[in-house]
Amino acid sequence: MTRRSGGESDPIVGTPVPRLDAEAKVRGEARYADDLAFAGMVHVKTIRSERPHARIVRLDLSGVESAPGVVGIATVADIPGENIVPIIYRDMPLLAAGVVRYVGEPLALVAAETRDAAREAAARARVAYEDLPAVFDPRDALAHGAPPIARPDAADEGNAFNHMVIRKGDVAQGFAQADVIVEGEYEVGYQEHAYLEPQGVVAVPEDGGMTVYGTLQCPFYVQNAVANVLGLPLARVRIVQTCTGGGFGGKEDVPSHLAALAAVVAWKLRRPAKLVLDRSEDIATTSKRHPGSIRYRTGARRDGTLTAVEVEFYYNAGAYQTLSSAVLWRGLVHAPGPYRIPNVKVDAYSVATNTVPCGAFRGFGSPQVIFAHESQMDELARRLGMDPLELRAKNALRVGDETATGQVLTESVGLGACLAKAREISRWEEVQAEVAAFNRRERFKRRGVGVSTVMYGVGMGAKAPLLDKAGAYLKLEADGSVTLAVGTTEMGQGAETVLVQIAADGLGVPVGMVRVAPVDTSRVPDSGPTVASRTTTVQGMAVLDAARRLRLRIEDAVRAILGCPTFTVAGHRFCHPQDPARSVSFAEVARWMWTRNWDMGVTGWAEGKPVDWDPATGHGNAYFVYSYACHIALVEVDLLTGETRVNRFWAVHDSGRIVNPATARGQVIGGIAQGIGYALMEELPSRDGRILAPSFTSYHIPTARDVPAGIAVAFVEAPYSGGPFGAKGLGEVPLMASHAAVANAVSSATGGRLRAYPAIPERVLDLVAKGA
Amino acid sequence: MDLPEIVRPRDLADAVRLTGEGGKPLVGGTDLFVRLRKGAERPPFLVYVGELPELRGIHETEGGVEIGAAATHVEILSAPATAQLPILRLALATIGSPALRHMGTLGGNVVNASPAGDGLVPLYLLGAQVNVVGPARERSLPVEEFVLGPGRTALQPGELIRSLTIPLPRDGAHPYFRKVGRRQALLIAVASLGALVWVEDGAVREARLALGSVAPTVLRPREVERALVGRPLTVEALAELRDALSSAVRPISDLRASADYRRRVSGNLLLDLSSLASG
Ligand SMILES: Cc1cc2nc3c(=O)[nH]c(=O)nc-3n(C[C@H](O)[C@H](O)[C@H](O)COP(=O)(O)OP(=O)(O)OC[C@H]3O[C@@H](n4cnc5c(N)ncnc54)[C@H](O)[C@@H]3O)c2cc1C
Repeated sequence: MTRRSGGESDPIVGTPVPRLDAEAKVRGEARYADDLAFAGMVHVKTIRSERPHARIVRLDLSGVESAPGVVGIATVADIPGENIVPIIYRDMPLLAAGVVRYVGEPLALVAAETRDAAREAAARARVAYEDLPAVFDPRDALAHGAPPIARPDAADEGNAFNHMVIRKGDVAQGFAQADVIVEGEYEVGYQEHAYLEPQGVVAVPEDGGMTVYGTLQCPFYVQNAVANVLGLPLARVRIVQTCTGGGFGGKEDVPSHLAALAAVVAWKLRRPAKLVLDRSEDIATTSKRHPGSIRYRTGARRDGTLTAVEVEFYYNAGAYQTLSSAVLWRGLVHAPGPYRIPNVKVDAYSVATNTVPCGAFRGFGSPQVIFAHESQMDELARRLGMDPLELRAKNALRVGDETATGQVLTESVGLGACLAKAREISRWEEVQAEVAAFNRRERFKRRGVGVSTVMYGVGMGAKAPLLDKAGAYLKLEADGSVTLAVGTTEMGQGAETVLVQIAADGLGVPVGMVRVAPVDTSRVPDSGPTVASRTTTVQGMAVLDAARRLRLRIEDAVRAILGCPTFTVAGHRFCHPQDPARSVSFAEVARWMWTRNWDMGVTGWAEGKPVDWDPATGHGNAYFVYSYACHIALVEVDLLTGETRVNRFWAVHDSGRIVNPATARGQVIGGIAQGIGYALMEELPSRDGRILAPSFTSYHIPTARDVPAGIAVAFVEAPYSGGPFGAKGLGEVPLMASHAAVANAVSSATGGRLRAYPAIPERVLDLVAKGA
Repeated sequence: MDLPEIVRPRDLADAVRLTGEGGKPLVGGTDLFVRLRKGAERPPFLVYVGELPELRGIHETEGGVEIGAAATHVEILSAPATAQLPILRLALATIGSPALRHMGTLGGNVVNASPAGDGLVPLYLLGAQVNVVGPARERSLPVEEFVLGPGRTALQPGELIRSLTIPLPRDGAHPYFRKVGRRQALLIAVASLGALVWVEDGAVREARLALGSVAPTVLRPREVERALVGRPLTVEALAELRDALSSAVRPISDLRASADYRRRVSGNLLLDLSSLASG
């Protein structure tokens, strides 16, 4: 049995089911990591490096140990297992041993009866350092004679953690064929996740093992890290996700480190240990989006046909690898953009510096290069005198085309439809005319519209295909209600609701009958991380697989009850085909199965379709499918101050079948807000590896008033055969597209060309001066 | 955070006594708690003066309005008496966010003495008097003499602000307030300009300007004010004074903006006064 329609019950997939987690959150009943308390619990504070690169000569914790309220301390010597937080590489110590490589690197831990006592005690640590030469800028780190920072086992060469390439065709020839060549260098800084709930975990020693509760995205990563530092079998380590107030990638790898720190304390003291970061410690010491420098060159014929793209870019990875190789690889694959380009050359570098390790952030290495490729498309359009939407449409990938990595797209390419829809809903020609009229009329204000188009590889891709899997467990209860356990997490994105919709539709029950159990590594097989916009697609397929298996069993029971090989369905009742009066409800079937000792639990499993990659050439089927989007932003720039505000926004997405149009719309609007922040205001200055103002006083994210009221969202649904009901991923895509549309709109309004984020008033005023 | 003990005084005299003993006055706490958390101040205890009747209320006086030091921004914005002070309302409406305006007070804004204080700009323009009570006597001084520098005021130990007296400006003043920064709310001004301009027969009769965030205190550029008199409010006429205003300010560079940008924007904002001519 595959998809049922009509008759039995209306399909739930495709309807705006309200968020299942909303009520508890609105009522204040949801319990976040810091709400947990256990008898005998201690509070942990991390003692951190004050230097960017130094040898630790002496670590004197006597003052810490004797401080009021202190229960104990932990140092490298207290780590029962290996002093390594395993992520992709095994280069990052849990606690610095001998050498520190960034300001804020953990050195030791103190546990006290209260959080204040722990904080005050930690301030009494006395550390003697012998400074080592430090570097903060990737260019300096790669320069000849730069001091070594990267650990050799984590680096391709010197301080270059990774150098990755794409080689397609012959770019020299491609540029020779071009009538127009545009070239630019683009710079972006950090972006901070600014999740509502800061990082936090509680480690509880139990049953000869360790259970960790926490705000996190990737429970199986955490399980692996905690088992590694404690030297325990994985089966003795259990990770339970608490209600998670946002992640955006910031809770992909960082919770592994924090959970392992708390677990070492809990293990030593045999007491539950809570480690919660306050906002400034969180901003100063946890991952953020990689700063990047991108050099980009594009060639095109007079009619706009792209002939060649050449890109060289550098990401500042920080002192340890963490996720940088994966981030860089996604940046590499996405650098050419969603276009048909016969000749492509990309060189991507992630570089070690003495700064806080960067990591995952919505878009995962792609927003930086998208800023560059979408700026280039606009510069090209300007030089060619072409409409920027038309230039993109002319080069947009279609089914049957080959991507920059030589992948032939066989299905589900809705990019052309996105462009057409964006043109339609924005009333493109009229908007341009309105803007021109406004600009003629106003003396001190200029409006501009900007476009961006993006593609996004759904799932882990060919860099980590092992992780693209998911398990689900479905249990039919004796009364016909259903418990669902999954291995991927709800972090505010709406996954729980969407997965329940898929389960409910697969089983033929109302949404209200399905409840999701807290995510717990002991319940389901390793389902990979909750990242890469993969949850609806891959976890959704596992849920659908379980639902279908369970449904087969239920149908067996129905046939046995009705004594008939076929049946019909009406409402939520199964009926005898000849005698509709003989019928049985879903709940009665469940009861019948239970009283006969049937197995009412099933496991579902799914994995992404095959992918492949040749690192020497950058050729391969990089991702099993791509999502697409086209965004248009209308901004207004004040010529006296350089202030910019976004007045209107149009966003069109192809993410395959939309499981829940309401949560999908929420994702898009949130991504637009985050993109407005990235393009216009978010800035985290640092000096000598030290983040200068780790607080929301100076790190400005958009407020409700900075997000336009007029946002139009539309979906064109190009179904994907490998996703549940045809769904692809959406989570990251809105952010990826939005900032570049804003950036292009700023350039268009000022007549200059924005080449660095964020477009703060000061920078925009300079553009105005140059553009004039 | 360990908060110091919060004491509720019985009456104004008690509040003055407690303040004299080193207690720190507290109303909305929107500045004070930030400082306590940073460890910038460690007072032995806090004196909650937000409920003292003498510090509350907003009422008309002869030729002006008296605003209790503990009146919140929202109370001031919605009090009938302040309808006659549109410049005050324009400025206070830009403070923080709705939550901030419900908690924060004009008295707190004045004592905080930030060069970016949005409440201070209209007080400078209107020539407000700060009414202070202390152990010995009451005194009253102009806001420009009350604020001495960033975070520094003329308050003596044991003194409290009781209220602010704001004289009504002559009829016909065009109010202007503009705050510059990278977002629309929850914004500490990178630069701000407030103005009251009287126009007669197409020319400026009198102009008062006050700039925030471009000097150690809010600044009244009096030479530019005088130079405006007699000019039409046209972009061209205002542009002639742009450089004069840019050189009257004394900004610094910080994480939010460079001194150069602040100087440029101060001058540029003057041109925006041309919008008053049509309004
Ligand atoms: C997120 C945020 C955003 C903000 N945005 C803005 C903004 O946009 N514009 C702006 O101008 N300000 C802003 N502020 C600063 C602050 O909100 C205002 O200055 C507010 O008006 C202070 O009032 P309060 O009652 O909260 O002062 P409190 O914090 O209670 O007190 C401030 C100081 O004044 C003293 N004090 C208070 N009342 C008296 C009195 N009657 N006599 C003597 N001393 C007294 C206190 O001891 C303390 O030193 C912001 C603050 C925050 C936290």
